[in-house]
Amino acid sequence: MIFEERQIEKNNFSSRATLLFGFIILVLIAVLIKVFSLQVSGYSDYQLAALKNKNYAVPVQSLRGEIFDRKGRALVKNEPTFDLITRPNLILDIDSFLEEIGPVIFLSQADKLKYKKLQKEKAFVNKELVLKKDLSAEEIARFNVRSFNFQNAFIAKRYRRISDYPLIFSHVLGYTSRTDDDYQSMPEIPRSHWKDAELSYAHGLIKGRTGLEQIYNDHLSGKHGQRVYEMNAKGQFVQPLSFFEPVKGSDLFTNLDIEAQKSAAKYLGDRKGAVVAIDLESGGINVLYSSPAYSINKLSNGMNEIEFQDLINDPDKPFFNRAIQGRYPPASTIKPAIGMYGLSKNIVNWDFEMKDPGFFTLPETGRVFRGWRKGGHGKVDMHKAFLVSSNTYFFSLAYQADIQELANHLSSLGFGQKVCLDCFDEDQAFIPTPEWKYSTMNEGWVKGDTVNLGIGQGYLVTTPMQLANYASLLATKGKFLEPSIVILGSQRKSKKIWQDNGFDNSDWSKMHTALLGVIESDYGTARSIRDLKEFKVAGKSGTAELVSLDSKEAYQEVRTSELLRDHSIIIAFGPMPNPRYAVSVVIENGESGGAVAGPVAIEVLKSLINE
Amino acid sequence: MNKPFQKIYFDPYIFFSLFLLSILGLFFLFSASNADMSIVFKQFIYVVVGFIVMILISQPDPDIFRRMSGLFLIFSLLLLGITYLFGPEINGAQRWVRIGPMSFQSSELLKLAVPIFLAKFLFDKKLPIQRKEIIISLLIIFCCFFIVFRQPDLGTALIIACSGLLVLFLSGLSWSFIGGSIILLIISSPFIWNILLQPFQRQRIATFFNPESDPFGASWNIIQSKVAIGSGGLLGKGFGEGSQTQLNFLPETETDFIFSVIGEEFGFLGVLLLLSIYLFLLLRCFYLALSARDRFCRLVIGGLSLTFAANLIINLCMVVGLLPVVGMPLPFISKGGSSLMSLFIAFGIIVSMGTHKKFLPQ
Repeated sequence: MIFEERQIEKNNFSSRATLLFGFIILVLIAVLIKVFSLQVSGYSDYQLAALKNKNYAVPVQSLRGEIFDRKGRALVKNEPTFDLITRPNLILDIDSFLEEIGPVIFLSQADKLKYKKLQKEKAFVNKELVLKKDLSAEEIARFNVRSFNFQNAFIAKRYRRISDYPLIFSHVLGYTSRTDDDYQSMPEIPRSHWKDAELSYAHGLIKGRTGLEQIYNDHLSGKHGQRVYEMNAKGQFVQPLSFFEPVKGSDLFTNLDIEAQKSAAKYLGDRKGAVVAIDLESGGINVLYSSPAYSINKLSNGMNEIEFQDLINDPDKPFFNRAIQGRYPPASTIKPAIGMYGLSKNIVNWDFEMKDPGFFTLPETGRVFRGWRKGGHGKVDMHKAFLVSSNTYFFSLAYQADIQELANHLSSLGFGQKVCLDCFDEDQAFIPTPEWKYSTMNEGWVKGDTVNLGIGQGYLVTTPMQLANYASLLATKGKFLEPSIVILGSQRKSKKIWQDNGFDNSDWSKMHTALLGVIESDYGTARSIRDLKEFKVAGKSGTAELVSLDSKEAYQEVRTSELLRDHSIIIAFGPMPNPRYAVSVVIENGESGGAVAGPVAIEVLKSLINE
Repeated sequence: MNKPFQKIYFDPYIFFSLFLLSILGLFFLFSASNADMSIVFKQFIYVVVGFIVMILISQPDPDIFRRMSGLFLIFSLLLLGITYLFGPEINGAQRWVRIGPMSFQSSELLKLAVPIFLAKFLFDKKLPIQRKEIIISLLIIFCCFFIVFRQPDLGTALIIACSGLLVLFLSGLSWSFIGGSIILLIISSPFIWNILLQPFQRQRIATFFNPESDPFGASWNIIQSKVAIGSGGLLGKGFGEGSQTQLNFLPETETDFIFSVIGEEFGFLGVLLLLSIYLFLLLRCFYLALSARDRFCRLVIGGLSLTFAANLIINLCMVVGLLPVVGMPLPFISKGGSSLMSLFIAFGIIVSMGTHKKFLPQ
């Protein structure tokens, strides 16, 4: 009986123990399966996660490419400066450190406060922090002598974006400024690591904001490198693991010409205006100048807020790039275009003559449109109409024009559209049409509007860039050069030609002869600039009226207020008979076109031709 | 056999398994502690002392343990009481008692005292066990559990409860009672959750079910543990080469998460080897339990070895993410003298129970 009972107990124990041990073995197998799924199936994911944990990659800033003029002279370069850089993790007591370094490096109270604030924010990372930028030679020397005292600080080279011509090239080159979206260029580096970027520029991570710096930002930027640190769970750097060198951005070679740009700036002086010059062989833009200018060196390297506000609030609008954004009535410089229209539509021919009494009366309303010279120019044909800039002739021609056709014609010459291939924020200006007038002014188009268009007054506005493009089209007898600042080489689109059945090669020759006469003949309106040069130049000047006037008396009144004075405009190309360069000049409130804008155009052509 | 002192009671399989585990443990600890020799040396001393203690404990006849079990339980509870009143507070818990140069976690003794006492209490009871006996057993288990739980040390408290319940189960607790208890447990679970558990314990359980909810907070440990194990791959990153371990992304590498270190540095093969040793050890205990000379020995071997197994699988399941994080060391590998000592004592008792074959009339 006793034995039997023990056997029952034993069997009971055995089955229960087997159950439990079996369960334990099952769990061990489950653990093994789980470990297998982590280590074998999930290996690549977890390996990546472990790498992410320990690898701390920081970007190493690349240098931007430099920008050169057509002769290979530097327009913008990277200039080394020297900064005092500290290692916050080695500084135990900031106050005593600042006190110690005080006699070596001059620090203002504001510098110190700023440093302390940044130090606090950054101290957890084993990282560098700039204490002072752009040290003087004296400070560098003083520091070097005592450097053994400062294991926690060193001097390092940091670059600044510098132009030797910060004012005259300000609009075309543009400026750079600090950016915080560089992280998008390297998605492999987490955004939070960018605060630890190894900088090459004193001004930090920068990006082109205007001009060539903006348009060609990708070309100039290069590729940031990276340094990978091993980091522990506390966020301390353990050791550097690898380094990928940054790739410097590509240099930019432009068609700009330092000497010609200098001439433009020199002869424009402190007047407001713009100069654009185009190389007729390549379509390259040699001069793109707008006055007044601002310093890109200051803007690219940290301008203070007051100076910046002054620039923004300046009534002369220095940020405004008049060369590609200024809208000016083309005035008499449009006359060759109107002439081309008249000839191609057979409204007139070169032999057609009319009497110029000094005014044109609109038959429908009797409204009188005046010429610039009282009493007129007597009998005029087209050649003479160009030379003496007869308004009556072109009023009469425009009167017979169909406005829609004329608008199309002006458009075919590049007006009312962007013409530069790589200008920053170019304006397309404007060609008026009846639909436009009706929709904006709720008025119908009247004949008088077309007549005004005949002398480039009224609603038509153009930019100096469009005028230069138009001048180059006239100079090359119809070639569209598609102007570009940068030498584009094979990237250029195929060249278009302006063609019209009614306007043949002999018309082009006669046009050139007439435009040459404007400057070179005794009757030309721009003959005052004839003797400024050794070569021959063709062109057309203009005086854009800002206020429409019907009497000479009123005109005298207007002259006294500078901002209401006429704009002085000229387009020119030379040397004739085989022109190489075309130029346009606009001087705001400069008055008479030939005499004021003319010399600037001549000086720019001279520097381009003589070089 | 007539002269017991001429025989040394010794089980070569258990000795060999524990020897391997201890050597590997020291090895892993060296890496897990970032090559801190002082920690490894201290552990080495515990291991040496542990082996000596184990061999000494294996020598007495099982009857002595049976007769001393009551005293042992009272002594353990007294020690715990002393700790509770006078022990130093570490991390908000009073668990340690100082004996000379060693500090000892007094609750470790209960892990041994509870199953041995219950084995003594139940071994001569007729099957099926009567309700009165069940209630007395459960009361003892609950008291011990509660005292340790209040320290608070949920991990050890659970193991103590587990050790008692295992003995109760092995001694023939009726299935209907087990079923009823499970139903009762489910019903009372909201009460346990809201009143008995500390906020940090609730947090751990909550993060277990949704670890990605708070990757830098409470579930950091388990995520980093998985990354460590997973990134070890088949062969591991090599001794001392685990970035998760060496750069401190992995928490508690010397104690609870030492298995993750092994996974990271020695890979799946290392894990396989380690688990094989544990399995071998458990199978040997199973054999000893079945072949033990009487019911008391069977219950003690079964209770102690299954408690050891529970300890092991809770730790493993926790670090691989199959269970919420509970403070539970990996037996024989994790740093910590107290748990190592109690383990060696437990195996000393198991060897004693398993190797004494003298048949005693019951």
